[in-house]
Amino acid sequence: MSLSKEAQTELTRVAVFAGQILHQHGAESRLIEQTTQRIGLALGADNIELSVSPDAIVITSLSDGHCVTTTRRCFDRGINMQMVCEVQRICVMAEKQLLDVRDVKKRLKRLIPFKHNRWLVVLMIGFSCASFSHFFGGDRAAYWVTFVAAALAMILRQELAHRHHNPFVNFAAAAFVATTITSFGVIFEAGENPQIAMAASVLLLVPGFPLINSVSDMLKGHINMGIARWVFATLLAISVSIGIVASMTLVGVSGWTS
Amino acid sequence: MIELLYLLLEDAWFAWIPAVGFAMVFNVPRHMLIYCAIGGALTHSSRFLLMHYGVPIEWATFIVSANMGFLGLYWSRKHLIPRPVFTVASVIPMIPGSYAFTAMIALVEINTTGYSLGLMQLVTENGLRTLFILTALSFGLALPSILIYRGRPIV
Repeated sequence: MSLSKEAQTELTRVAVFAGQILHQHGAESRLIEQTTQRIGLALGADNIELSVSPDAIVITSLSDGHCVTTTRRCFDRGINMQMVCEVQRICVMAEKQLLDVRDVKKRLKRLIPFKHNRWLVVLMIGFSCASFSHFFGGDRAAYWVTFVAAALAMILRQELAHRHHNPFVNFAAAAFVATTITSFGVIFEAGENPQIAMAASVLLLVPGFPLINSVSDMLKGHINMGIARWVFATLLAISVSIGIVASMTLVGVSGWTS
Repeated sequence: MIELLYLLLEDAWFAWIPAVGFAMVFNVPRHMLIYCAIGGALTHSSRFLLMHYGVPIEWATFIVSANMGFLGLYWSRKHLIPRPVFTVASVIPMIPGSYAFTAMIALVEINTTGYSLGLMQLVTENGLRTLFILTALSFGLALPSILIYRGRPIV
């Protein structure tokens, strides 16, 4: 199939836009690479080559020996699996030739990140950390202390994220709040083992998704993406522990290393 | 035996809550949350069972996450949805967050209070445990695409 220069440029833009959405919403590198290539091929390119790096993607489309190359910066917009699902669906539909370039572009432009109701998320995260306190062997008092601390920390995390604060500052602040609240549980001797609440209430700040993505990226050959995600997750964990240590020093309760 | 069954059910009950909670933080679509709940309950309770029979935590994690990888493969082919949507949220209850934070905090404490064998032991043991459990987790989840699909797209 022969494409005009304009058609090839348009195709490249649509494909890179799909890749950019996937990158910004926390998809694995292999998925970004494959989906972008599949969309490009489905829309009529002879070949798509792309390079995924931690903050940008570069894509080249080939058609009749002509190359079109373009680069997009990818800022982190938070993990959103719904966006990943939608892009994947558009890719499958384009492959079945149900959509042409204009439809794909229109559908990609129309995507709005879906967010769960924030108070429901706060409630569920509160119960999640409370369940972790149960796994660590905590009693009912530890359960409820963890619930309150984790829910309040989650509210703070959402508020700061909504105001586009730096994630490291955000995580340190949330860890500080959670640890301070659970320290009062230790001071007032709530239940048998109130230290458990201190450990469980900060687990909402574990960067689980970046860590898993990091290892699977490295396994599948995207070493530089894997290292970038690993370093990001480690820095988040360090800022969480600095928040915890700051709170323990201020309140004077030690619950982790003793 | 009945006692063990009760413990398993309790473990599964407390495991689906974090799986769904974190799936909501990752904005998994609403009608897919039930799969995250099933996955979270299954993986965590079967790891509990394996560890009850003396399997070390890293190997137990690897076995259940490999099973979760194959289960996620089935679900993702059925619903035409990328695999990480189900699999990552399902293994979130098994992420060694507590070990990771203990290692980091001990590291910060070494800086403030000076080197001591106890603190260094905390750093090394918890850090290594985090590393191995995490690798087992991701490697298990990636197993279907490493062994069977080998670079071909799944959906």
